[in-house]
Amino acid sequence: MKNINNILYAAVALFTAGCESLVEIDPPLTSLNGGIVWQADNTAVAAVTGIHAALSNAGTSTAGLAGNSGLGVLCGLSADELTLHGTVADNRLIAYYRNALVAGPQQQFGADLWTGSGASGFYGHVFNVNTAIAGLEGSTGLTAAVKQQLLGEAYFLRGYLYQYLLGLFGNIPLVLGTDPKANAVLPQAPAADVQARIIADLEQAKTLLGAVYLDGTLRPYTGSAERVRPTKWAATAMLARAYLYDGQYAKAGDAAAEVIAHAALFGLPALDDAFLKGSTETIWSLQPVRTNRNTEDGYVFNLPATGPTASANLQPVYLSVQQLEAFAPGDARRYGRHWVDSVTALGTTYHFPYKYKAVNANGAPTEYQVLLRLGEQYLIRAEARAQLGDTDGARADLAAIRQRAGLGPVEASTREALLEAILRERQCELFTEQGHRWLDLKRTGKVDAVMSVVTPLKGGTWHTDWQRYPIPFVDLQRNPNLKQNRGY
Amino acid sequence: MSYEPLEIAGNSNLNGIRLRLKSSALDEVQVIGYGTTSRRLSTGNVASVQAEAIENQPVSNPLLTLQGRVAGLSVIQPSGMAGGGIRVRVQGQNSIANGSLPLYVVDGVPIISELPATGVDHPLGIDGPRSAGYGSPLNYLNPGDIERIDVLKDADATAIYGSLAANGAILITTKSGQVGPMRFEVRTETGFGQVANRVEMLNTRQYLDMRYEAFRNDGIDWRDPRVAADDLKAWDTTRYTDWQQELIGGTARYGTTNASVSGGIDAVRYRLSAAYQHESTVFPIPSDFNDRKVSVSSNIRAESPGKRFHLQFTGNYLVDRNQLPYADMTRWALLMQPHAYPLRTAEGSINWVPDATGRTTFYENPMMVVDARYRNRTANLIGNLVLGFRILEGLEFSANLGYNDLSTDDFKAEPLSVVYPENRANTQPSALFGSRTVRSWIVEPQFNYGRALGAGRLEALLGATLRDLRSRSGHLGGLGFLTDSQLENIDAAAVITSEVANASHYRYNALFARLNYTHKDRYIVNLTGRRDGSSRFGGANRFGNFGSLGAAWIITEEDFVPEWPILTFAKLRGSYGLVGNDQIGDYRYLSLFDFANIQVPYQGVVSILPSEMPNPHIQWEETRKLQLGLDVGLLGDRVLLTGTYARNRSSNQLLGYALPYMAGHSNYITNFPALVQNSSWEFTASSDNIVRGRFRWSTTLNMTLPDNRLLAFPDLAGSTYASTLVIGQPVFVNRFYRFSRVDPATGRYQVYDRDGGRTFSPNPDTDRTANLHTQEDFYGGLGNSLTWRGLTVDFLLQFVQQRGYEDLGLGSNFLWTPGSFYPGVSNQPVSVMERWQQPGDRASVARFTTQNSFGGLAANTDVRIVDASFIRLKNVALAYTLPERWLRGAGINQCRLHVNAQNLYTFTGYTGLDPETQSIIALPPLRVVTAGIQLSI
Repeated sequence: MKNINNILYAAVALFTAGCESLVEIDPPLTSLNGGIVWQADNTAVAAVTGIHAALSNAGTSTAGLAGNSGLGVLCGLSADELTLHGTVADNRLIAYYRNALVAGPQQQFGADLWTGSGASGFYGHVFNVNTAIAGLEGSTGLTAAVKQQLLGEAYFLRGYLYQYLLGLFGNIPLVLGTDPKANAVLPQAPAADVQARIIADLEQAKTLLGAVYLDGTLRPYTGSAERVRPTKWAATAMLARAYLYDGQYAKAGDAAAEVIAHAALFGLPALDDAFLKGSTETIWSLQPVRTNRNTEDGYVFNLPATGPTASANLQPVYLSVQQLEAFAPGDARRYGRHWVDSVTALGTTYHFPYKYKAVNANGAPTEYQVLLRLGEQYLIRAEARAQLGDTDGARADLAAIRQRAGLGPVEASTREALLEAILRERQCELFTEQGHRWLDLKRTGKVDAVMSVVTPLKGGTWHTDWQRYPIPFVDLQRNPNLKQNRGY
Repeated sequence: MSYEPLEIAGNSNLNGIRLRLKSSALDEVQVIGYGTTSRRLSTGNVASVQAEAIENQPVSNPLLTLQGRVAGLSVIQPSGMAGGGIRVRVQGQNSIANGSLPLYVVDGVPIISELPATGVDHPLGIDGPRSAGYGSPLNYLNPGDIERIDVLKDADATAIYGSLAANGAILITTKSGQVGPMRFEVRTETGFGQVANRVEMLNTRQYLDMRYEAFRNDGIDWRDPRVAADDLKAWDTTRYTDWQQELIGGTARYGTTNASVSGGIDAVRYRLSAAYQHESTVFPIPSDFNDRKVSVSSNIRAESPGKRFHLQFTGNYLVDRNQLPYADMTRWALLMQPHAYPLRTAEGSINWVPDATGRTTFYENPMMVVDARYRNRTANLIGNLVLGFRILEGLEFSANLGYNDLSTDDFKAEPLSVVYPENRANTQPSALFGSRTVRSWIVEPQFNYGRALGAGRLEALLGATLRDLRSRSGHLGGLGFLTDSQLENIDAAAVITSEVANASHYRYNALFARLNYTHKDRYIVNLTGRRDGSSRFGGANRFGNFGSLGAAWIITEEDFVPEWPILTFAKLRGSYGLVGNDQIGDYRYLSLFDFANIQVPYQGVVSILPSEMPNPHIQWEETRKLQLGLDVGLLGDRVLLTGTYARNRSSNQLLGYALPYMAGHSNYITNFPALVQNSSWEFTASSDNIVRGRFRWSTTLNMTLPDNRLLAFPDLAGSTYASTLVIGQPVFVNRFYRFSRVDPATGRYQVYDRDGGRTFSPNPDTDRTANLHTQEDFYGGLGNSLTWRGLTVDFLLQFVQQRGYEDLGLGSNFLWTPGSFYPGVSNQPVSVMERWQQPGDRASVARFTTQNSFGGLAANTDVRIVDASFIRLKNVALAYTLPERWLRGAGINQCRLHVNAQNLYTFTGYTGLDPETQSIIALPPLRVVTAGIQLSI
């Protein structure tokens, strides 16, 4: 019996020793441990580059900046820019088109840009940016220049994303941290606070970011630069937009002027060259990341010879009558196959945006998705000047834009007439680019006047409440502190 | 009453144990964790299914042989596709959000409970509430090699497996040789399978009437060239095809051949076998879609003279090649327009039915999924070696060493021929190449000690488990092949992308001890304690302590109980225990960045993004299991009755705390003090009704009354589960509106709001007042066996009373709104003809409209859940053993002819395709009939 006891004791000792090490495993093969990501330059760059790549990776079904569920299509349908082809049975696109978005448990149309699929919505991107800011701020192992540039990029991206969330949804929570429990119960912030934070982020980005375009290792390009990482100029240009939206016209004009003045990098090339990869007009663009694709906007807008498709994942939209009628006779942006092209199918002619001319790429893409370009800066400065009473300056800025389109200067001379002309110029210049028209209608207070005419033509009924997209139903359910936008 | 006891060394060396005299069914062996016992002396809740019942069933997955045969075990086949996943629950769903999967052990080797997906394997599973993963790991084990399957349910029976068996355990033991001359056995059978049911869908006339009426209702002139109505304009409206007959009305062929050699002399026993199984599909398409399996199995036992040392080796190897269309055709069989076109053109290519401009009008041509074919090759090796050494009288050391290697490569082709012609300019042929490896080993050293103590016997077991499991799955994508013919050659792709779906490493170890004392064969106590460690938890929470106590009292052995001719056996048993569940996925406590799945790296940089939100503090889920049972034998144990009450309460639930999207991720894992209770009453009865001369009639019955409910969830109303869980209801409850009527004035559906008023637009938060679920009220099986001379007839009725989804009713996620059109998939059941047509109509179906809205209001009402009870003639087995004197001259020992039928007939009031799948997109379990012969020489 004693023998047995000894054996049992020995066995127990044997089994218990090293128990802990027997359930030790290596970190997973497929992932990196969060702790080390922000301690080395290359992994930190990979993490911030990942946010850019995710922004570019819109695809046909994930909401994003471009493509079939991008700002251009969705906001273009909501506004008076695009017509949804009659054969399209996709209820989501129909809801955007007829200004009949809903946020219910069975049907939820209008939440795409907020929620995305998985973590690919704007708030998913915001979380990734916040994670980067937290990681970078706390990091000690990075080269100072790398840390500064990456932080600048992160603040820039946060400002950029929030400007859209604010513009589209109106009442939004301002998520700045990474603690899921704290984030999950945040209430909506006053719009002025959100706008102030956007401006603060962009101002910070402006001080952090460098003036030259950097490559994937954060070194200046030796050959021709690709304009796919934010620079000080991108931050300044976005700041100009944010000031303008906020009514700080003097600051908006100054920021735009700062970019326009930097002629060494930026200019206004011919219409057909404006959206090419190496365009001097580009201030910030995204590199396409899908195999054999050029830009996502090029994919969705360029109609095949058979006309628009019934499938929402192909080419379901074309330019609206209102958009076509906005162009003056002789406007090269409309006529001459520069920025508008057409196909005729079954006796019907469909016009479509032709800013991006390439759909597929065999080899390297020839066009990049432009998110900030110099043309907008002229229009911002024109509007700022008009608001501040500098009508001559405003007319000069408009003339610079109109000249490229083969048009003479505008005749408007009063502040009101000029603002009217600027709005129309923005309509003709920036059409189908990241929802400019929709946001312009809203911020200038013209949305009710325009949409109460246009929405019935689209088969819907306009109400002023429809200018805000609905807060996603899921978020309302999961965060008791959120309130739905009026009318939904 | 007497029986011959058998001394069994208490270790996992159990194959081939035979009691020499089966005086009663009570003395049948039961396999439990690391040992065996008998029904007479068992303290736990264990049920067994034997080889004969397994062989009688022409199914390719051994789990399906358990349907209707085991109390407390729910086995649901969500799809009739060969190789598909199977949903198995032992005594209900314990975890709200995490794994409720049982442990599978084959010859002492734990097998992964659910296969990690390759991302290519969608044909092997279905999505939705009855999803059971993509494929089943037990699909890769030949049922013909199985000797017995034991289902361990309560804490006492499973405690020894610890957290591996938190949700029960299913132990599979393969056949072994017996002492005797060499015996050669061949069993072969062949047969066919069909879909046993059909539903009535609109014919062409009805379909067209519906469409014209829908346009009239909407005030649209369909002839207007701007109006899209390809089915009326571009299609030939005089055609009619019965698509159910055409697409799922075929006959699948079945064939199985098993051959084995077995025998043994004293110290060495052996069995070697080989098998071939094949099964084609019911899709009557000229293609080589089928599932073929080849397997070999070996089993050797040897003992040293004096039996001091013994070993047992088992090896099972199976190779499967499964070729299927890339999606289940059932969806099209039901929903394709009755006048849809021939699926292929005269040249054999896919018929897209282009209109005058060349635009495709038949997007969803099901031949897409035929040409985009799927192939799965899986090999499964299970090897086990048990070594035993007797150190002293009564003390034995043994080691169980097991290895499992399951590897899959699968393939999906996306040739250019499945792309609409007008989209081909933008598309290139592509293919997906999936792969999966699951490798695990287990080492279990044990000491067993047994001796007589007082008037009873003491058995002790001390052991440890070391388990290591590495799994990896994912796929490569090839894009830009020059031609469709090169798709299987990834070198011919212009671009190769990769996606690793899963790569994980899991380690588990445990130390455990069991003490068993049997006093005078009437009092039995079984005590188990253990300490488990799992790599799925962070540092401080890795280890947990668990244990159980089981006890039984055989009342009829007491002296004060008189010898009584009626009541010959009575046993009270009970157990209580605590087990931990770690089925939460790997690495979830770590803060991780994943490699972003980007096709063209941004600026050439491989980029990363934050993965799930980490929680380093997650802990074990805990289940407390209580069981009480009474076993009774009557009339010399000819009638055996058992009744068991089980109550399993699971707490510390690991839940994905659902986050609003604004938080950045949609969920976050954390432990909740929520309490889930699974209680059930289980009854079994077996009876030798008549034993007279050479006639024998016996009956078995099992029945389970399950009940799952959420007992507690602190601050549920304020939590993110407020809209999905209800206290007092099952954790899989769904909240629906109460259906009111079709409004006679407008022809639109109305539901009741919470105050009982009718409304068109209810408030989803407050008006969903009907709490409905698909939990069975009861389920079970009734089996009868009749033998007369060489003739045997067995049949099993499976019965289930439950409610289930009816997706053909007033709407679902797959049913287009009646009157709307989508090419290939928008036909309707004939019931829609009861629709509203004009103001004043009291109709059951809303007005037709051309505007589709999936899952419209009616689909969210209580009419979606209907009675889905059924009684299924699950199995009929007819066998005739030829009299021996006929065979003697031919040198044949035994010759048996048999006819087997599975799912022969279903009695149900359910109006959909099948009450078990409850789906309009999944193939129902097939009716299979086979005939065969078994010879032994």
